[in-house]
Amino acid sequence: MARRLKFNIFRYNPQDPDSSPHTDTFFLEETESMSLFIALNQIREEQDSSLQFDFCCRAGICGACAIMINGKPGLACHTLTDELPEEITLMPLPIFKLIGDLSVDTGTWFRAMYEKVESWVHTDETFDPNTDEGRMDNALAEEIYELERCIECGCCVAACGTANMREDFVGAVAMNRIARFMMDPRDERTDKEYFEIIGTDEGIFGCMGLLGCEDVCPKHLPLQDQLGILRRKMGWSAVKQLFRFKS
Amino acid sequence: MAVNTTTYVRSPSRTSAYLDWLQMLTGVALILFMWSHMILVASVNLGAGVMDALAHFLEKTYMAQVGGPIIACIFLLHFVLAARKVPFRVDQQTTIWKLSRQLRHTDTYLWLIQVVTAMIILIMGSIHMWTVLTDLPIQAAKSAARIQGGFWLVFYLILLPMVELHVGIGFYRIAVKWGFSRRHDRKKYKRFETYLTAIFITIGLVTLVRFLLLKT
Amino acid sequence: METIFTDVLCIGAGLAGERVAIEAASAGFDAICLSIVPARRSHSSAAQGGMQAALGHCAMGDGDCPDVHFVDTVKGSDWGADQEVVRLFVDRAPEAVREMAFWGIPWNRVVPGKSTYFKGGKEFEKVEASEKEGFITARDFGGTAKWRTCYTSDGTGHTLLYTMDNKVVQLGVTVHDRVEAIALIHDGEICTGAVARCLKTGDLRVYLAKATVIATGGYGRIYRETTNAVINDGGGAIIALDTGVVPLGNPEAQQFHPTGIVPTNILVTEGCRGDGGTLLDVNEERFMHEYEPEKAELASRDVVSRWMTHHIRQGLGVKSPYGDYLWLDIRHLGEHHIKTKLREVEEICNNFLGIDPITQLIPVRPAQHYTMAGVRTNKDGAAYGLTGLFSAGEAACWDMHGLNRLGGNSLAETVVAGKIVGEKIVEFLQGYEVQYNTGVIRSAVTKQEERIKRLISGENGDENVYDIRNHMQDELMERVGIFRNGTDLQKAVDNLQEIYARAQKVGLRSNGAGANPELGLALKIQGMVKLALCTAYGALQRTESRGCHAREDYEARNDRDWWNRTLATWKEGDDLPTLNYEPATETVELPPGERGYGVCKIITCDGEVIGEDKS
Ligand SMILES: Cc1cc2nc3c(=O)[nH]c(=O)nc-3n(C[C@H](O)[C@H](O)[C@H](O)COP(=O)(O)OP(=O)(O)OC[C@H]3O[C@@H](n4cnc5c(N)ncnc54)[C@H](O)[C@@H]3O)c2cc1C
Ligand code: HEM
Ligand code: SF4
Ligand code: SF4
Ligand code: FES
Repeated sequence: MARRLKFNIFRYNPQDPDSSPHTDTFFLEETESMSLFIALNQIREEQDSSLQFDFCCRAGICGACAIMINGKPGLACHTLTDELPEEITLMPLPIFKLIGDLSVDTGTWFRAMYEKVESWVHTDETFDPNTDEGRMDNALAEEIYELERCIECGCCVAACGTANMREDFVGAVAMNRIARFMMDPRDERTDKEYFEIIGTDEGIFGCMGLLGCEDVCPKHLPLQDQLGILRRKMGWSAVKQLFRFKS
Repeated sequence: MAVNTTTYVRSPSRTSAYLDWLQMLTGVALILFMWSHMILVASVNLGAGVMDALAHFLEKTYMAQVGGPIIACIFLLHFVLAARKVPFRVDQQTTIWKLSRQLRHTDTYLWLIQVVTAMIILIMGSIHMWTVLTDLPIQAAKSAARIQGGFWLVFYLILLPMVELHVGIGFYRIAVKWGFSRRHDRKKYKRFETYLTAIFITIGLVTLVRFLLLKT
Repeated sequence: METIFTDVLCIGAGLAGERVAIEAASAGFDAICLSIVPARRSHSSAAQGGMQAALGHCAMGDGDCPDVHFVDTVKGSDWGADQEVVRLFVDRAPEAVREMAFWGIPWNRVVPGKSTYFKGGKEFEKVEASEKEGFITARDFGGTAKWRTCYTSDGTGHTLLYTMDNKVVQLGVTVHDRVEAIALIHDGEICTGAVARCLKTGDLRVYLAKATVIATGGYGRIYRETTNAVINDGGGAIIALDTGVVPLGNPEAQQFHPTGIVPTNILVTEGCRGDGGTLLDVNEERFMHEYEPEKAELASRDVVSRWMTHHIRQGLGVKSPYGDYLWLDIRHLGEHHIKTKLREVEEICNNFLGIDPITQLIPVRPAQHYTMAGVRTNKDGAAYGLTGLFSAGEAACWDMHGLNRLGGNSLAETVVAGKIVGEKIVEFLQGYEVQYNTGVIRSAVTKQEERIKRLISGENGDENVYDIRNHMQDELMERVGIFRNGTDLQKAVDNLQEIYARAQKVGLRSNGAGANPELGLALKIQGMVKLALCTAYGALQRTESRGCHAREDYEARNDRDWWNRTLATWKEGDDLPTLNYEPATETVELPPGERGYGVCKIITCDGEVIGEDKS
């Protein structure tokens, strides 16, 4: 028996003076292997063409479609309706600036994050097109890739109690990014330099270990492990500094 | 040309790191204290004499007189440190409350429990410490009398689970935050935390019953 | 009206757009990239399998060099490519891969010693040399003589784009995301920027630039079944076509990828077959080796897609409510391989199909995948028709792909072309000054404002924009797909002309306020139907079979009459494109011959008929 799904969707278009925040309800007949991508588009095409939401790759690869699905952040494109109850409540991600309805501005937030953590390889070398590339152990390359898989969907930030309470908290995604560069021998930054970026209450020492991030990450990044490693590294780095200064 | 945009104009502040260390260390110290505390108090189950002897030993070595205030200081220090993380502003409180309700995420709930129990411990723990430390020596009979009075029974029945929940969760949190627990064994740690809390609450309850039944 | 000035305006912040911007910024010029989505969500991030470059480090790539890459690419293109461009490309691809490594890509590396690999479902052994340990390794891809596709697991596009964007941030290049260019500003001779719509507020904005680059990627979304992202709906090609003077090259050239999953058409990488995966039919039996004894599953994409369709038509597909499909089998590659080298594939199967590829078969069938068609440029990336307009990446017809692109050659193109075109733009900008003509700017803006007003007020009519889009997509899918014939193509052209007329009469259902999505589509719909018409009409005219363009009524590749490139422009007021032709290549390093796979009936330049149709 096909279910009749009830969607409660947050609506607000800040650009429209007549609009105020409210919830709209839509009904849809559930179809086989219906995802929220299919459902939302169907609502837009058949019921309310002003409904704003974001999709891009619709394959769980680009991170565009994160929304709060019955209270939990997740990728709408890879959420199938048959995993959800008949009543589905959709809200935009918190923390990020609302553009309209379910659509939020992640671009600005993430760009600020890259600038803060200086999300690039720091090196004094210059590229020489005529020599072979530097060697790297394949196992290490795979380890780096593991952390590089983050799609910047923002789910971990949305689920983080700390980030929700404190605007300046960088979130697990930024710490994972730092961990990725720390692992990469091509990046010549020292622990002390990393400490400068992340060894604060806005960074790793602000993290309270709630692991909302770990539990919602749609790409299953090893956030818990990386946060633990990072706290230890940064903690030791501070202790070492202490003794160096004393002596 | 290689571009290095990193310039260092200020030496990095390491305060957050030290405070985080201290928070963890005071937490650990308090956990250890609570365990010792539990041994002392639960010894009454082996007989009032055993507890009195232990207490006597503590006092003779001045561990109670000196250790007590030290613990009180650690307790306060711990509070001050941890308070940096406690949402005192109403908007923060609503945010985190709404978020945890939405998420229905255990670890976020656990943290809330930790914060709430902390506030209760702060008040009740202080009262408790004051009472005990201003009324030395520690004696099983004195404790029993207090408990049989009824007020303190209720008081402890509240404080006990608060402390044990706080300790249990604190233990788990340290394991997670400092990377002792990894993704693959997180469940184990959590289960351990639950058992720990349950066992300690049970021991505590048994002890309270024992006090109730202790002839004064 | 907000007006922003810059030296270089890159419309598109995918790999190609950002690579151009990096080159310009490194030379000290101002560069701004526009993107519909945050840069890293651009569709480049979805590329999985890898990027071709003849490094020759791995055992199975031993002896590889740009020359071999050149031959593969030209053959792959079915001699539709511009050989001078292919040469430029293959020579600089290795350097591009290394540069990306230098910037931070965690390329998979050579692990020395014995290991096994699969081909056609059978296991073989290879030995990697210890002196190559730690160099960038490569995997096998369709249509190549050597293992040449460099990769990071199956997230190559993702790591490339993230690294590229890191570089962009490092250099301080501005990216305006959620900004969509909706018209070029030009006077018929010189292009001086673009009118764009902000997708956060809905406001229009003017970008004035000395050099404007169209790097908007492909436009697979004119088809119903495509592996492309939903934003790949042709914005860049449309604004070029709208100028009336800039031609699209080979609009009929649309590639179908053999393995889109059913029913969502999400791609599972060619790496699956490259790593030894096989295609099975309803009886769970392999069939590709019967059609293509030599290359089997690893013939070029056009060929594999055709045989799959052919096989399904023989009734050997698996039936389903979503139509017939075939199986992709990667079970024998084993858990370890899948979990390390085909991770995204595993996730896609888990999340979208609810199956486990380690133990289960993956339902696949061909889906539109790549637009070889694009803004025609010269070898410097300068667009035909307007000074100051450039194009790079999938949006361009540079033209190294001809009528069929090889897997892995497209990521490589974005990076290599981005670099080369960037260098050429820097040369172009040296001492180049331009006068911004306020009249031209004003009229470009007014035209867009008018369009928006009319769409909102419904003055043009009340056609439903989604309806029109759906009809257009169906039309292409049904009649301008993998196999084509004159009757169907003619019908498609007729129907699309009708749809085009309806597209003029679109009116909004909603109020169009702010970043209204319906308005976004309505602004594009005429352009999309134009692209569809270019595709269908170009295909109708090309009475031969070449690369991805397979005519059932003209099965031979006809080098005598059709060794050329279609150039489609659109004159204002017309309802069909104007088609012109130019030789496919001025330089001929590799004269037309047999590809070694696929149908090999050829009418040579001298009119001789060689080879035979195998089907
Ligand atoms: C699923 C999939 C897998 C693939 N796998 C491989 C592979 O393994 N190997 C390989 O070589 N190739 C592969 N390809 C092809 C390759 O990924 C693309 O051809 C290539 O990444 C295109 O890059 P690009 O920079 O040209 O465009 P894109 O990355 O698509 O970027 C286009 C940019 O333009 C912007 N844009 C578009 N329109 C407008 C507008 N009107 N105004 C402003 N901005 C606009 C977009 O926001 C985006 O930033 C794959 C393609 C797909 C779809
Ligand atoms: C004054 C009373 C107390 C207050 C206000 C208090 C408050 C807090 C708070 C808010 C936290 C969470 C901090 C965070 O998540 O970052 C915390 C953690 C902790 N508390 Fe307490 N607490 C008190 C007493 C105790 C006692 C008596 C014990 C032990 C017996 C204890 C043990 C711990 C431990 C082990 C942690 C984890 C430390 C960490 O996360 O670094 N606390 N406390
Ligand atoms: S770490 Fe995970 S949840 Fe966070 S942004 Fe990256 S992919 Fe999303
Ligand atoms: S562990 Fe908790 S506090 Fe730390 S980043 Fe993750 S969700 Fe936020
Ligand atoms: S649309 Fe790309 S992850 Fe969902």
